[in-house]
Amino acid sequence: MSGWPVLRSVCDPGGEGFKGNAEVNERLVADLAERVAAAAPGGPARSRARHVARGKLLPRDRVDALLDPGSRFLELSQLAATGLYGDEAPAAGIITGVGRVSGRECVVVANDATVKGGTYYPITVKKHLRAQEIALHNNLPCLYLVDSGGAFLPRQDEVFPDREHFGRIFYNQATMSARGIPQIAAVLGSCTAGGAYVPAMSDEAVIVRNQGTIFLGGPPLVKAATGEEVTAEELGGGDLHARVSGVTDHLAENDSHALRIVRDIVATLGPRAPSPWERAPSREPAHDPREIYGLVPADTRTPYDVREIIARVVDGSRFGEFKAEYGPTLVTGFARVHGHPVGVVANNGILFGESALKGAHFIELCDRRSVPLVFLQNISGFMVGRAYEAGGIAKHGAKMVTAVACARVPKFTVVVGGSFGAGNYAMAGRAYSPRFLWMWPNARISVMGGEQAANVLSTVGDADPDAIRRQYEDQGNPYYSTARLWDDGVIDPLDTRTVLGLALSAAANAPLDPIGYGVFRM
Amino acid sequence: MNRSPAPRPAPGSPGLFGTVLIANRGEIALRIIRTLGRLGIRSVAVYSDADADARHVREADVAVRLGGGYLDIDRILAAAAATGAQAVHPGYGFLAENPAFARRCAEAGLVFVGPPPEAVEAMGDKIRAKAVVSAAGVPVVPGGAEPGDDLAEAAGRIGFPALIKPSAGGGGKGMVLVRSAGELPDALESARRTAAAAFGDATLLIERFVENPRHIEIQVMADGHGNVIHLGERECSLQRRHQKIVEEAPSPLLDAETRASMGAAAVEAARSVGYTGAGTVEFIVQGATGDYYFMEMNTRLQVEHPVTELVTGLDLVELQLRVAAGEPLPLTQEEVRLRGHAVEARVYAEDPSRGFLPTGGRVLALREPGGVRVDSGLAAGGVVGSDYDPMLSKIIAWGPDRASALRRLDGALAATGVLGVPTNIAFLRALITHPRVVAGDLDTGLVERHLDTLVPAGGVPADVPVAAALILHHERTPAEPADPWEVPDGWRLGEAAWTTWRLEGRDGVTEVLVRGLPSAGAEVEVRLPGGGVSGAEGGTPGDVPAPVPGGPPGGGARAAVRGRGVPARLAVDGDDLLITLDGVRRRYAVARDGDVVWLGRDGDAWALTRHHLGDPGDREGAGGDGDGVVRSPMPGTVLVVKVTAGERVGEGQPLLVVEAMKMEHTVTAPVTGTVAELPVRAGQAVDMDAVLAVVRRDGES
Repeated sequence: MSGWPVLRSVCDPGGEGFKGNAEVNERLVADLAERVAAAAPGGPARSRARHVARGKLLPRDRVDALLDPGSRFLELSQLAATGLYGDEAPAAGIITGVGRVSGRECVVVANDATVKGGTYYPITVKKHLRAQEIALHNNLPCLYLVDSGGAFLPRQDEVFPDREHFGRIFYNQATMSARGIPQIAAVLGSCTAGGAYVPAMSDEAVIVRNQGTIFLGGPPLVKAATGEEVTAEELGGGDLHARVSGVTDHLAENDSHALRIVRDIVATLGPRAPSPWERAPSREPAHDPREIYGLVPADTRTPYDVREIIARVVDGSRFGEFKAEYGPTLVTGFARVHGHPVGVVANNGILFGESALKGAHFIELCDRRSVPLVFLQNISGFMVGRAYEAGGIAKHGAKMVTAVACARVPKFTVVVGGSFGAGNYAMAGRAYSPRFLWMWPNARISVMGGEQAANVLSTVGDADPDAIRRQYEDQGNPYYSTARLWDDGVIDPLDTRTVLGLALSAAANAPLDPIGYGVFRM
Repeated sequence: MNRSPAPRPAPGSPGLFGTVLIANRGEIALRIIRTLGRLGIRSVAVYSDADADARHVREADVAVRLGGGYLDIDRILAAAAATGAQAVHPGYGFLAENPAFARRCAEAGLVFVGPPPEAVEAMGDKIRAKAVVSAAGVPVVPGGAEPGDDLAEAAGRIGFPALIKPSAGGGGKGMVLVRSAGELPDALESARRTAAAAFGDATLLIERFVENPRHIEIQVMADGHGNVIHLGERECSLQRRHQKIVEEAPSPLLDAETRASMGAAAVEAARSVGYTGAGTVEFIVQGATGDYYFMEMNTRLQVEHPVTELVTGLDLVELQLRVAAGEPLPLTQEEVRLRGHAVEARVYAEDPSRGFLPTGGRVLALREPGGVRVDSGLAAGGVVGSDYDPMLSKIIAWGPDRASALRRLDGALAATGVLGVPTNIAFLRALITHPRVVAGDLDTGLVERHLDTLVPAGGVPADVPVAAALILHHERTPAEPADPWEVPDGWRLGEAAWTTWRLEGRDGVTEVLVRGLPSAGAEVEVRLPGGGVSGAEGGTPGDVPAPVPGGPPGGGARAAVRGRGVPARLAVDGDDLLITLDGVRRRYAVARDGDVVWLGRDGDAWALTRHHLGDPGDREGAGGDGDGVVRSPMPGTVLVVKVTAGERVGEGQPLLVVEAMKMEHTVTAPVTGTVAELPVRAGQAVDMDAVLAVVRRDGES
C-alpha cells in the first residue's frame, strides 16, 4: 500500500496567484472562526448567568465533562439556524456531535437551556434527528443530556406533526434500541411534555435531584386541568422518579455526578463491533496542508488540479490512481487517511460520460473491497450538448448515481468548491446519505450557477436577472446551507484531514451491509 | 543468594571470624554486611516475616527466618548454630544492650560483638554509671540520687532550676523541672508517683538543669588488652522529641583542648567499667561556658557512627570485629587523625507538618544520591510499615570544612527522591540551611523553637499540581500516531477544549486545566483551592498560577477563564519528567499508585489524588477543610467509630479514633452538618488519607 507513489506538487508558494488565493481563503477561514466563536456561548449572557446560578453546568461544559479527558469532539452543524428565527437560536439551541466516552465513540445530544429554555425550533428537531441518524448509520451509542421545555410552541406546525418532526426522536430511540444501539439519557433540567419521552424511551436514565424534572404536563397545566396544586419537584423531580415512579434509574446529586453515572453506564456497554477494514499506522502528508489556502482559487470557476488537495489530505501524500488516463475530469484512486483505507473520488472539471463510467466502476471496486469512499466535490455539472445527450450522458450519469446510492461502504463528502446540479448527486450529495458531509467556506451549492439560472429564467420568463443572481448567491452560500442542515458543518480546509480521520474511525463502529446494486442502465 | 560456601576464616586475618550473624535489620544490618563482605566474612541475616523481602535479607550471604521478631533470642541462637556463625553483631537497638543476650551468646560459644555484659549493666543503671564515672574523675551534672542522698538537701546544694528524674527511667518520661525551692515538695511527690507507675520503681534523682544544652558525645574504642582510645566527638544537638536527626563531627563548638579533655574523660569512663569494643560517652555541654557533664554511655555502635568514620577514615564495624576477635586496637590515640567535617541527616518516614507523625506506604520510586555516603535500608517496591522504627536511611556528607559538608549534604538531600512514603527530607533541608545551624550555634531546643520556619506550611507548591495534571494528560497520549480519537488534545471545530484535572493535595482540591498535548506544547490554567484563577495573566516567570483576586469562583463560570494559558511542555528523560512552565524547566521524579500521583523534586515529595468527575469530594464547594471529607491522618487501625451515618455533628466533634504506632489520633468533623458517608468500621486497617467519613455541610444537598 505504501508502494503508491507520492503525489507531486507543482504549487509555487511564492507566486502571485498563490498569495492572492491564500489571502482570500484565510479571510474566509477567519470569518468562519468568528461565526463559530459567536455561536458557541449559546443563549444571552443573562440566561447563561441564571443557568449557572442554579448550580447547572453550561451545555458545552457538560459535554466537555462527559467526554474522556482530552477527548476530541466532532461537533455537528455548529452554525445551524444561523440567520434563522431572528438569530435567537445559536446552534439551534442544541449541541450535537461525536466524542469519546469511556473509550467508546458516542453521539452526544445536549440541549442548551440558555436558548429559549432549550425548546425545539424546526432546525433543532432536524439537528437532533440528524445526530440520531449518524448514531444509527455508524452504530454509536446515543447520550442525551436533556434540559428542554419541549417543542417551541409558536412554531408547533413546523415541529410537531410531520414524519421528520418531534415524534421521530422517540421513534428513532425505540428502533435504535431495537438494533442494539444504546440510548442513555441524563435529565439535567426540564423534560416537559413530549420531552418527557426522551428519558422514558431510553435504555437507562439518570436524573439530578432538585434540578431535573420529567412530566407530561407541568404544574400550570395540571392546575388548569384538574385544579391540583403541586410543585415541579413534587410532580416530576428526581426523588419522585428515582424512588416512586421508576421513570429514571439513577439519582444524581448534580450535573457532574450525573455525567459520571453516564460515563459509568457507557463503560458497561461492552466492546464495539470489529472494524470492517484494517487500519494502518497513520502518516502525515508529505506536502504541507497549509498550502491548501494558496492552492484553492479565490474564484470557484478557476480550474485547478484536485490532486494538489488530495496530496495535502491523505497519508504520506501517497495516491494509487485508478484509470488516470481515462475520463480525466474525475480523479479516482486509493489512499489512506489516518491509516484508514479510502477510495478518493474527486472532480477535476465537468463530468463527461467517460468520467461517470469511471466513477461508477471505481465505486464498485471500493465497495467490493470494503474501502470507504471520500468524495471531494467541486462540480459544475454534467456536460450538456447534442453530442453528449446522443452519447447517452444521462444513462452514464445514472450509472454513477446508482453506484453512489447503492454503495454500502461509508461515504464521506467534502464540498471543496462548487456543488451544482446533477453533479451534486453523482458526487454523493446530501440526498445520497453520506455518513458525513462538510463544506469548505469557499463552497457554493445550488441547482445551477447564479449566472446560468439568470440566463435560463430570463429566457423562459420575465425574471429580473440581477435578482436571480442575488438569490442564488445568497442561497448558494455555505452558511445558508449549514443553517438549514444541508450539511454537517462548514470546516476550515486545514481540518479536513482530522475531520475525515475522526469520521472514518467513528464509521468503523458499524458493520457493512451486504453488497447490492440496482439496475445499471447499459 | 542464600547459598554460600562453608564457613572459613577471613583471608589474611587468621584470627577473624569466618561467619558472623547480624541480629538486626534495615540500614544497620546492610552496613554491617558491607564490612563483612569487604573482610571476606560470610554474613548471616535474620528476618521477621514482615521483612521477608527486605534488602538485608537479599544482600546477606545467608538469611534465616525468625518466626517472631528480632528480640527472639532462642531463634537467633539457633540460626547462628545452624549457619555455623562464630560471632553475633547486634547492631543498635533490639538486643544490642541486652546483657542477658550477651551472656546467652557466650554460653552458646558465640562471640558477642560488643562490650562485656558487666559493662553494659554498669552503664545501664544511670545512677550507678554516674557514680562510677564520677569516681574516675569525669565531670557529672551536679546533683544527688536516692537512696544515698536526700533530694531536698541535694537541691539546696546544686541550686535551681533543677530536674527530677526517675532513676529507672529513660526517654524523658517522668521528668519534672523545678524552678524554685517552693515547688520542690510537690514536684518530688508527683515525680515519685509517675516513676512508680511507669517503671515500678519510685527511686528518684535530682540534677542541675542545664538550659538549652548542646549534646556532644565521644566515640571510644577499647580492646581486650587494656587499650582505650577515643575517636573525637560528634555533636548531636539537632533533635526533635529527644531524638537526634542531624549529627556532625567534629562539633563546631569544641577546640582541640576541650576535645582532648572530653576525650580523656570519656576514655576514663570506659576504663572505669572495663569496657571493650565501641562505645559512646554522651555529654551535655553548656554552650555559653563550655562546661560539660557526663550524661550516659551507650554501649553499642551508634546510629550516627558514620560521621566519625568519615572524619577518621576508620571502619568502626571492622574495629569492633577485630576487638571481638581478640586483636589489639590497630592504632594508638596519637595515630587518630581527624580530617575535614562530616554531617549526617536521618531520613524518617514521618510528617513534620503533622507533628512528626509516622507515615508509611509502599516505596513506589526511589532515588538515592551519589557522591555522598548513603546508609539505607530502602528498596523500591518495599513497604514501610508501622512494625519498626520509621528511620529509612542516613545520608552522610563529608567536606574539607563544615560549610562544604553542609552544602554537599543539602545537595544530596535535594537529589534524594522517596515516592510513596512521606519523609522529612524537606524539613531536613530547611534545618541544615537554617542560619543558626549554618552558624554552628546549636542546642537541643533549636528545632522546637524554630519549628514554624522549618516545617513547610503544608501547602503544595503551585507547580506540583500542574505537573501532576500534565502527567495525567500525557499518560493518555498514545506513543504512536494512532486512531485520531485517541489523541487527547481536546480538538474541536473551532477553539480546542480545556481538560479539567482535579487534584487533591494537602490544602484541598486544585483544578488544573490543560489544553493541547503536553509533549507537543500545551497550555495550562490553574484554579486554586480558594477559588482563585490564574494563567491568563503572566506572573513571575515559572511561578505559575498566583491566584487572581476576584477571579470567577469555581464551577460553572468556565467560559470566563477561557483564554490564553501558561505555556507548558513535558518531556521524558529516563525515569524523570522535565516540565517547562512559562519558560522555567523543572525535573520531577514521578510514580503512580492508582489515582495517586507522586511527584518529587528537590528532595521533597507530594502525593496528589486525582478526583474523578462526580466524586464525593469533587462536588461544588469542594476544597480545603471545608469539603467535609475526613481522611485518615496516618496509616493505622480504626479504634473507635463514635458516630453513625446520618447523625448530626458539630464542627470539631470527634468522629473516629485511629491508632498507629501506639498513638491514638482523634479525627474530628471539619464542618457542621450530617454524616453522609462512613465507609469504615472499628478494627479496620486504613491507609493514610483513606476516606473515613464525609460530613455534608448544612445547606448542601
